[in-house]
Amino acid sequence: MGLKRNVGLAVALRYKGKTPFWSYILHRIGGSALFTFFTIYIMALAGVDFASGILGNWLFQIFSLSFGLFHIINGLRITILDLFPNLIRRQREAIWLEWAVFLPLYGFMLFVVFRSAVGG
Amino acid sequence: MEVTLKIFRYNPEVDKKWHYETYSIEAEETDRILDLLEKVKGHVDGTLSFRRSCAHGVCGSDALRINGRNYLACKTLVRDVGHKITVEPLLGLKVIKDLIVDMEPFFNNYKKVLPYFINESPLPADGKERLQSPEDRARFDETTKCILCAACTTSCPSYWGNESYLGPAALVTAHRFIFDSRDEAASQRLEILSETNGVARCHTIFNCTMACPRDIKITKAIGELKMAMVTGKLD
Repeated sequence: MGLKRNVGLAVALRYKGKTPFWSYILHRIGGSALFTFFTIYIMALAGVDFASGILGNWLFQIFSLSFGLFHIINGLRITILDLFPNLIRRQREAIWLEWAVFLPLYGFMLFVVFRSAVGG
Repeated sequence: MEVTLKIFRYNPEVDKKWHYETYSIEAEETDRILDLLEKVKGHVDGTLSFRRSCAHGVCGSDALRINGRNYLACKTLVRDVGHKITVEPLLGLKVIKDLIVDMEPFFNNYKKVLPYFINESPLPADGKERLQSPEDRARFDETTKCILCAACTTSCPSYWGNESYLGPAALVTAHRFIFDSRDEAASQRLEILSETNGVARCHTIFNCTMACPRDIKITKAIGELKMAMVTGKLD
């Protein structure tokens, strides 16, 4: 009977949720980025050559650290809202605050990565 | 004014795959999307299938995805969504025909939270109603407004990924009874909500709150349930 309920990624991403929905998407990508980063980091510690190469690549560093940083800050926002449900009415401000914390840290992180990439 | 209405169509007896059909119809800015669907069904294509009942935002039958977001078709005006309108069935539930989805899994989840008043204590001495202060009544006032339209549950990515997740509508109903000072089954319901597919699957995404046609602060209600589970307190 009828079509299946499956919601594919393409259909899900077309749903017009607002900022918190996109934060959720970025949060999921961030979780995967952190998982990838730590997997490669552990492999590098174990002496796997190609893992050390990937870890030293500045594009990889920017990718994993950007999404990882967002994941951490967004996770803090969600935890705070979960612990204090009364703050949920201020969720819009919470997202602005999240970006206000994220952007300077992100800028600083880019600066450090580029400086070490250029400086060798 | 002419409106372009693109409607999701699927007839399991004829179609192997779903498709869209586009209709150009005359409409006013103040027409509701439900009026447009009625116009198509009444004057253009009588085979179009969709649910409707009261048509005044009370019964919750006509929740649909309109221009990519969940709304009640009877509460959404043309001027709210523009002149190019795409109407699709709710996500995460099987499509039976055109815009009609199978609500069975939604109501099965709803039943799991014991959506009825439980109080085994004897009635008050006068044999009449169990009294409650206005403050106690206000505690769960917001969650009494749910009309079970499923707009919230079917806007939730956690539900899209897992049909067994209770979903926002069931959690709102659980909130309505858990915080009712006259009800005696709060701990039983909190036990149900603490299971794998309970409240922990809410990732505070807010799609449900934004989709609710009754403006219930669903994410806040779920947040209160999370805290009640952690602290065991119902204040």
